[in-house]
Amino acid sequence: MSDTTFMGVPRDKIPWFPTIDYDKCNYCMECDTFCPHRVFERREGDRKLVVANPNHCVVFCRACSKTCGPDALSFPNKTEILALIKQIRAEESAK
Amino acid sequence: MTHAILSCNGLDKPEGSVAREVAIRAAAATGSEIICPVLLHRAPARYKKALSENAVIVVDGCSTRCASKLAESLDIKVDRKVLVSDVLKSSGIALEPTLNLGPNGVGLAQAVVDGLLQSLNASSEPAPSAVSSVVFAPPTEHLVVTHDKFEFRIPVADYMFNENDVWVRAVDDVARVGISDYMQQSLTDINFFDAPKTDAVVDQFGELGSLESAKAVFEIIAPASGTVVAVNAEVVANPGLINEDPYGKGWLVEMKLTNWPEDRELLLKPEAYAKTVKHKAEEA
Ligand code: SF4
Ligand code: SF4
Repeated sequence: MSDTTFMGVPRDKIPWFPTIDYDKCNYCMECDTFCPHRVFERREGDRKLVVANPNHCVVFCRACSKTCGPDALSFPNKTEILALIKQIRAEESAK
Repeated sequence: MTHAILSCNGLDKPEGSVAREVAIRAAAATGSEIICPVLLHRAPARYKKALSENAVIVVDGCSTRCASKLAESLDIKVDRKVLVSDVLKSSGIALEPTLNLGPNGVGLAQAVVDGLLQSLNASSEPAPSAVSSVVFAPPTEHLVVTHDKFEFRIPVADYMFNENDVWVRAVDDVARVGISDYMQQSLTDINFFDAPKTDAVVDQFGELGSLESAKAVFEIIAPASGTVVAVNAEVVANPGLINEDPYGKGWLVEMKLTNWPEDRELLLKPEAYAKTVKHKAEEA
């Protein structure tokens, strides 16, 4: 998936993905069950869930956070990410 | 219109205690019957009359949304919903981390009730003459993306899409917005449209309310920036219209566009969206 783009910008240049707050997460796995894009992965050990494939996350989607009871998932600021995408697009077209 | 209130009992989280308090206060303010979720789950017949004669308000404490899911599982038609954790986030109130309500918890409960009463009063007034005079003719020709036994339709003309499966159709500076056939099929039967307020000002990729099905909650991601000028009242009353006719009768909101020439640069034309759908369907 690393070769994919979002609005013409390489996906790996866009830092949009969930961050798990391990102080809040209770490993109910609702988010992983819900997301069809294999962003999360279950692991053995202390942290039973990790964001293994951040670039699989659909830019601007926040759907899994709506399944999370303890509110353990957070996302970047949309306005900042959008500004970044526009900036990269402008740089690309100026080349 | 009288109401019945189905709330989460919330015995294990501070937000749950607030939800319970909301139910008690809202019932007192509106003369509504309270539906106990445990008894409803155990003996649904006990509430048959209350549920059939009243508009149902669901109060969830946290995003686990137990009360909503219970309503879904029993096919209860829901008139409106509140999610305490959402109000908590936008209120800036610091909720005490205890199960007994502190002063902030009580304040939050009252704020949720006030918001609820306001929305009940607003909807008893006649709706503003909202829908624009622009005529949006239904699409006639479609591209079809097939995957396994599924077929996803995409209108060939006039519609543009964001990568979050939301379409926009602009006529001058007014646009209709809805979700694609692909998303409608992924969600399966949609049973609730939490609509944005008319007059809400939204940025491109901001939130235009959400849709719920038994499978998921779908945040509607604005395909363009503008002001919400109309909400499709027929869809609020009957969200199944989105499944029946996602590009026509199932439209969600109308917006007055404020930055269309720039916003459209970040949208996909039908052929490009068709490729995205193919890709998503293969991945899912
Ligand atoms: S839904 Fe929330 S609490 Fe549950 S596993 Fe995911 S992050 Fe953790
Ligand atoms: S935001 Fe959407 S795509 Fe990203 S991990 Fe959550 S559900 Fe998956």
